[in-house]
Amino acid sequence: MNIKIHTKRRALVAFMLDQPGVLNKVSMLIRRKMYNVDTITVCKTRTLGISRMTLTLCEDSDDKLNQVLKQIEKMTEVISAKELDIDQSFWREVGLVKFEADKDHFKQLSEHYSFDILDRQNHEIYIVQLSGTSKTIDDFLKDIGDEKIIDMARSGLTTLEK
Amino acid sequence: MKGTELVIKALMDKGVKYIFGYTGGAIMPIFDEMEKKQCFSFMMARHEQGAAFMAQGISRASLSTDNPQVGVCMATSGPGAMNLVTGVADAGMDSVPLIAITGQVPTHVIATDAFQESDVVGVMMPLTKQAYMLQDVNIIEETIHDAFFLASSGRGGPVVIDIPKDVQIDETQSDYTFKAHEYVPDIPGFFYSPFPERDAIQKAVALINRSERPIIICGHGVICSNAGKLLRQFIEKTNIPICFTLHGLSALPVDHPLSLGMVGMHGTVAANRTLPQADLIISLGMRFDDRVTGNLEKFGVRAKIIHVEIDPSEIDKNVKTTVAIHADTKEALVRLIKDPELISKPRRLWFEQVDAFRRERLDELEAELKRGTGKQGQLLMKTIVRKLSDITLGKDIIVSDVGQHQMTLARFYNFQTVNSWFTSGGAGTMGCALPMAVGVKLVRPHERVWAICGDGGFQMNIQELGTIMEYETDLKILLFNNGYLGMVRQWQTLFYDGRFAGTPLKNPDFGFIAKAYGIPYSKVATLEEIEPALTNAADHKGACLVEFLCDPSEVILPMVPSGGSLEDMIISLSDKRISPA
Repeated sequence: MNIKIHTKRRALVAFMLDQPGVLNKVSMLIRRKMYNVDTITVCKTRTLGISRMTLTLCEDSDDKLNQVLKQIEKMTEVISAKELDIDQSFWREVGLVKFEADKDHFKQLSEHYSFDILDRQNHEIYIVQLSGTSKTIDDFLKDIGDEKIIDMARSGLTTLEK
Repeated sequence: MKGTELVIKALMDKGVKYIFGYTGGAIMPIFDEMEKKQCFSFMMARHEQGAAFMAQGISRASLSTDNPQVGVCMATSGPGAMNLVTGVADAGMDSVPLIAITGQVPTHVIATDAFQESDVVGVMMPLTKQAYMLQDVNIIEETIHDAFFLASSGRGGPVVIDIPKDVQIDETQSDYTFKAHEYVPDIPGFFYSPFPERDAIQKAVALINRSERPIIICGHGVICSNAGKLLRQFIEKTNIPICFTLHGLSALPVDHPLSLGMVGMHGTVAANRTLPQADLIISLGMRFDDRVTGNLEKFGVRAKIIHVEIDPSEIDKNVKTTVAIHADTKEALVRLIKDPELISKPRRLWFEQVDAFRRERLDELEAELKRGTGKQGQLLMKTIVRKLSDITLGKDIIVSDVGQHQMTLARFYNFQTVNSWFTSGGAGTMGCALPMAVGVKLVRPHERVWAICGDGGFQMNIQELGTIMEYETDLKILLFNNGYLGMVRQWQTLFYDGRFAGTPLKNPDFGFIAKAYGIPYSKVATLEEIEPALTNAADHKGACLVEFLCDPSEVILPMVPSGGSLEDMIISLSDKRISPA
């Protein structure tokens, strides 16, 4: 089977009722329609009972993306869904990284990146929290060096319009 | 009030008359309450799948009556609910409103793999418009009202309500009230806008007026919105030829001078030749299924497309539209017809071309219909259907199973009555006809109902003969027996070098089966017997079964090969691309 590699990264935001099974429904839809989704994040909104879901996916075709939107909007629990304009919105994620670094290396990292130190063991092993664009986190991980990373977790993207 | 009482009350408030189902441990309390109240006609199917199709029959056939109803079926937890799945999925594919109520194991044992427990909501969720599991007795009524609203508003579909046994027998709070006649469902994520936008209508009218070679494709949406009469006005006013999807058939008389018959994989030569030549395709309430379009890349390449559709997710799904009218087909047609700018054009050249397509292979087809038998002297399905059509004047209700006989009926029955053709289209579920016809007959009691099956599909829900016997349903059952799964055999003939893998059937003596159920039976093996047998069946009061011995080598042509475009249609067995055995 030929799998087409899509390069255009896009974000969808949907507002939905905060009910059990809604996330399940969306993820089932993604599987059923074979959408190529990268991240899903869900959070509460200021309105009680309404959640905000952010999906990012790689999809070059506008028609296909519109289909994703329409299929999500079709769910009776979804109040609205739209695509975010990449230039008119902020896309951020949080990375938690546990790594080993000597004094000099750590100093270098702190000069380049702004992160919070959550834990420090034996002066050599750190757990830090860094937030920013996906690229910032990618760069940070690269600068730490793959062999130095003990563990890490990323939140997936969440977004806000300008 | 008790949960079970609320279920019954809500169903009564929603005007439910018939319930189809099969009892069992987890649904017993509701059945018990039904027995006490005696407020519905209950029909016990012999298998839950049968119950789901009977309920579908209610929804499908009552659309065009003064009292449209939503079919309701019930089953117990676990295997009962799982046996409903095929019927529910089928309703989803064909946009048929349906309510399925299932019992569930008590709340405190859910997720323990309790006896007859299955994850009904999990299984049904992707197949339905909504799947509820009720965990609170106080929301039973409101949920059932919501379910009916969802199932029957906008594009129809199935809704499942799973009720744990303890919730069924719980008592409501002391201050519980629910005013059914005042209740308005509030479903914030469900948008339903039947009315088209002015702008889209104007654009569509401009395209129609400009078009020299337009064609209309009539889909199930026309039937569902009961817009057959309006459609007729529209085509007559604009003078545009029309073809039908499988479910669009019977929206208007199929022998109307502007009609080209069914389009698609087994469509008529005329429709399949005309469509690719059109400069404008007006599709009404249909979803560009692959069986209609063939290869999408070659579909309608010369045409602009107006797509009238109630479900916004269908617009631009398979075919890119020029003008999308997101509305109920009926409302869109009303506005199109009333538009003062809409004109009629003679389109002489276009109709000359269309008429030439109509004549293609017509003589050969008529000769074949007249001959009526295959090389071995066995009957041709098309001849039987033509005779049935003549005897009933095309006015009766036809409920068809799935396969060759279904396509033969779609091609050769001369549908005259609006909404008189019922079958499983999208899902193509064999075995649908017998139970579906039971539901159809209940809501259209004064019309004659023919259930037509092949020998394969008949045996898939043959147990429902028990229901027909018990409730004395007046169905004319026609069994086209060719000893094969005919449609698959046809594909094997055309594309698999005639290797008949898994298609021959050793059949029982259907006469004995009919006798066992007390159903009069006759067998037809020759041409001369067809007419008297059909006339007898038509005149007989009560169920009867007529078996026809059909020619297994009959193929239903034309046929668009799977993945091919309409222009690749095979119209004759002497086609070079095929290798018949």
